[in-house]
Amino acid sequence: MQGGSTGVGYGLKYQARCISDVKADTDHTSFLTGTLSLKEENEVHLIRLSSGGTELICEGLFSHPNEIWDLASCPFDQRIFSTVFSSGETYGAAVWQIPELYGQLSSPQLESIASLDAHTCKIKCVLWWPTGRHDKLISIDEQNLFLWSLDTSKKTAQVQSQESAGMLHCLTSGAWDPHDFNTVSLTCESSVQLWDLRTMKKTGSIDQAHVRNVDYDMKRRYTLVTAEDESGIHVWDLRNLKFPVIDLPGHSHWAWTVKCNPEYDGLILSAGTDSAVNLWLASPGEDNSAPDSLVEPPTRRVEPLLNSYSDYDDSVYGLAWSSREPWIFASLSYDGRVVVESIKPHLPKK
Amino acid sequence: MEVEGVPLDDKAKRMRDLLSSFYSPDPASFAPSLPPNTSSRFATLDTINTTSFDADQYMNLLVQKSNMEGLLHKHVEMAAEIKNLDTDLQMLVYENYNKFISATDTIKRMKNNIVGMESNMEQLLEKIMSVQSKSDGVNTSLFEKREHIEKLHRTRNLLRKVQFIYDLPTRLEKCIKSEAYADAVKFYIGAMPIFKGKIFSDSESIQARAEAVMLLKQLDFPVENLKVKLFEKLEQFLVDLHLESPSRGSISDSASASAHEASICEFAEAVRAYKVIFLHSEPQLSKLAQDLVTKHFDATHQQINKQVRSGDLLSILRIIWTDVLLMDKVLPEASLTDFALQSARVAVKDYISSVFKRLLLGVSDVLMKFQVTQKEGIEEDSSLQATLEASKEAVMQGSIDVLLEFRQLLEDNSELLLKLRDSTTDWVQEGFQDFFTKLCNYFLLLSGKSNAANRDLSFMEGIPGDKIVPALVLVLAQLSLFIEQKAIPRITEATSCFPGGGTRGFGYGPAFVPAEICRIFRTSGEMFLHIYIRMRTQKISVLLKKRFTSPNWVKHKEPREVHMFVDLLLQEFEEIRSEVKQILPQSLQRKHRRTDSNGSSSSSRSNPLRDDRLTRSNTQKARSQLLETHLAKLFKQKMEIFTKIENTQESVITTIVKLSLKSVQEFVRLHTFNRSGFQQIQLDIHFLKNTLKDISEDEAAVDFLLDEVIVGTAERCLDPSPLEPPVLNRLVQAKLAKNSDLSAVSS
Repeated sequence: MQGGSTGVGYGLKYQARCISDVKADTDHTSFLTGTLSLKEENEVHLIRLSSGGTELICEGLFSHPNEIWDLASCPFDQRIFSTVFSSGETYGAAVWQIPELYGQLSSPQLESIASLDAHTCKIKCVLWWPTGRHDKLISIDEQNLFLWSLDTSKKTAQVQSQESAGMLHCLTSGAWDPHDFNTVSLTCESSVQLWDLRTMKKTGSIDQAHVRNVDYDMKRRYTLVTAEDESGIHVWDLRNLKFPVIDLPGHSHWAWTVKCNPEYDGLILSAGTDSAVNLWLASPGEDNSAPDSLVEPPTRRVEPLLNSYSDYDDSVYGLAWSSREPWIFASLSYDGRVVVESIKPHLPKK
Repeated sequence: MEVEGVPLDDKAKRMRDLLSSFYSPDPASFAPSLPPNTSSRFATLDTINTTSFDADQYMNLLVQKSNMEGLLHKHVEMAAEIKNLDTDLQMLVYENYNKFISATDTIKRMKNNIVGMESNMEQLLEKIMSVQSKSDGVNTSLFEKREHIEKLHRTRNLLRKVQFIYDLPTRLEKCIKSEAYADAVKFYIGAMPIFKGKIFSDSESIQARAEAVMLLKQLDFPVENLKVKLFEKLEQFLVDLHLESPSRGSISDSASASAHEASICEFAEAVRAYKVIFLHSEPQLSKLAQDLVTKHFDATHQQINKQVRSGDLLSILRIIWTDVLLMDKVLPEASLTDFALQSARVAVKDYISSVFKRLLLGVSDVLMKFQVTQKEGIEEDSSLQATLEASKEAVMQGSIDVLLEFRQLLEDNSELLLKLRDSTTDWVQEGFQDFFTKLCNYFLLLSGKSNAANRDLSFMEGIPGDKIVPALVLVLAQLSLFIEQKAIPRITEATSCFPGGGTRGFGYGPAFVPAEICRIFRTSGEMFLHIYIRMRTQKISVLLKKRFTSPNWVKHKEPREVHMFVDLLLQEFEEIRSEVKQILPQSLQRKHRRTDSNGSSSSSRSNPLRDDRLTRSNTQKARSQLLETHLAKLFKQKMEIFTKIENTQESVITTIVKLSLKSVQEFVRLHTFNRSGFQQIQLDIHFLKNTLKDISEDEAAVDFLLDEVIVGTAERCLDPSPLEPPVLNRLVQAKLAKNSDLSAVSS
């Protein structure tokens, strides 16, 4: 039960996969999470970390019509978020708004802003414009990439452009480059594809199979982190797609999610199906020394694993850094347990 | 006889006729006889002497023609004739017999004569030989003298010239005194070409050339002018000096060695002479001497590149050192010993590194061979093990051989090597350190853990562009372990008794750090094991992914039999097992049995709860259901699925099985099932439960994971009502029967 005492816990009623940091909430450290229950009524929880950082408080509880497979909070409006949901065979994606004065209502209902209903196959995820107020939204289904134009006041969403990645590729997830707003990376069965949104064309690909999740480094440009089923975690330089810059051991089983810290350079958090969350330090600012250090056997390097949080009973699928307090992250295991931890004790001394 | 009218003049004629008839059987040749067919019609009494004589016809004719008296007369005549013929015949026979006897006698005599002839001939040959050898002897004995005479003659000529030259000054003086200037100039000019010719002629040895220059100098000839040309000659001499020849495996060849020695002596003498003759020529001479040494070492480097053995290298170095000492005596200004020492340092270092490079290539060859045979699909049962053994051998025996070579180098007592001993020890240690680091890097490269761009392994050409076969990673894992546990201690032991060492500065410590190398190989050995497991599970994941993504689970049809992916999965496990069994050791104690596994009891305790929950899931409320799951999880201990991987067959197989089952669980969680889909999974898992027992050691964990898969499916199922146990068993039995049928057919 390593590090078990440091975490602040919160239990959801049902199983859950996704948690998102509410970026637009500058006053509190809060997270949104949605449940995944096939037969019961699913819920979206708005959780807030108490000012002392010792307690997780449920700020809002909203019912959601279907089980939630993906949830993303709007970066400019704390009340808006998107979900990807399913019911049996049909999948859908929608943008929701938390009603004003939700705390005073007895059973608040989510207001639907827009339904992203142009998809013909299973929707995988919805990406918001990385920072600031912008109307662009991306949704990814198994074969297509959609660029939406969202008007939150008029509550409409229109497809701006759309492109098919091909039947065979079977897209799984994606990430929007915070340094170059024209680029998104999409993961598919056999590679990570880089797309240019202006031309809606593929500009490059990393041939790495079984990538589950990608994330861009917020601080360092051209840096992409991937999490793979078996091969662990890799850090790539987008200018050289042949070989990874850093190869991290990852997890005992699949590495499911990977998230770069929005503030600290090279801090990477990964969650895996071995019921663990690992905190890595991918040698920040040492791009040049990385190849050299590879000449030495890996153990020669400074141990990149800062800490492994293993106080989970099930696979961890949800992971989110707090952008307000970047030393805090929230993790969500399949059994519906949210754990918020502070990485402060593990930060390298500067 | 005359009666017959046959022309018989005398006895001699008759005799001749008889003889000729005797010797030539052809009657026509001697008797001008009648044609045989005429005998009957024109029958005469003459036919008696022909071959066609018919006695009856003759009698009839005789009787018809003659009267009684005539007949009687004829009778007498004939009787006499017959008598005559008889004696003739007798005589003839006697004569011939006589001739035969004399012929026999002659032959006998001839034979006797020939027997003696053979020995005579041999004698003759001998004599001729001896004559020849004697003439040769005379020739050779005379030849020496003749040579000597010729030499003496040449010497006399030379002496005369020398005499002339020695006399020259006096003679010139005399001439000047007597004011015969023309004569003086003539003499002087006459003397000049002698020296010049001597100096520049190629036939003269450099030593002779040096003497000539010396004489010229005595003549106050401006020798400096000649300097350039002379040095050119000297350089040419160096170029012609075949330094490569003595070292090319013919060290024992004393002839070439002595020839080499002689030419070096000559060179040394020349240098000595020039040093005296030409002032300030030392730098140039030093340069030449250094060129000689450089040339030597160039040749040595060539030898090193040709994979010379240390013994040969030693003798080469020894020759070089003698040469250097010789030169040093003549020309101490060149400080050749230092120069040679520097070069020798480089050479020995080069040698050591080349030896290690070869060692590395040897190891990589073994591994590459396996990779190639695997790629080409050549299946051999023992190949995996054989490769492991071969690579172990390559590392171990190779290192020992290398050590022996170096030992030879270190134990040599020549001055040069004594001076280099400390550094050599360091280099060998450095070499080992470098070798093992490189070997480890090479392994990493092979396993695909690192990329070639970051490596200084450019000499490795055989890096496969395509993926390495997993079995080879397993070999690498074992090889790393072997190096860590066996090879390194052995080499450490061997190197520790090396003399000298420690010339490295303080704070560096010894170059070869066995502990570090051991650590490197231990960690990479573990890593290779991980990589192997990862490669294997990756393959299984692809299999599972296909299985779970292709069907529409919400519209699944009722399960009729165990799905074939189970077969594929088991086949994969079987393949892994066969690979692992070949080269991994068995674990000493059989761990994770039900009795001592702490997770098992809790797992079995939770089972009834689960099953209970499954059956009641339709009726019970969801809240309590989830509560129950949580409760169950609270009560049972956390199942340690991901245990540390050990270097044993059981551990590796069990880990792969566990990881694969965990993957199944994760895949299941990503889908939504209808009742039939759930039942299909239930059936497949149930079948696996029976079969995996034989494969995996950690039964508790496997059971736990299999249960987790079913629970996970039930959670993702719209209508989780499980198959009745009898149906389940029947289908499993059907599958087992089918499998055994198949195996019976195939075997």
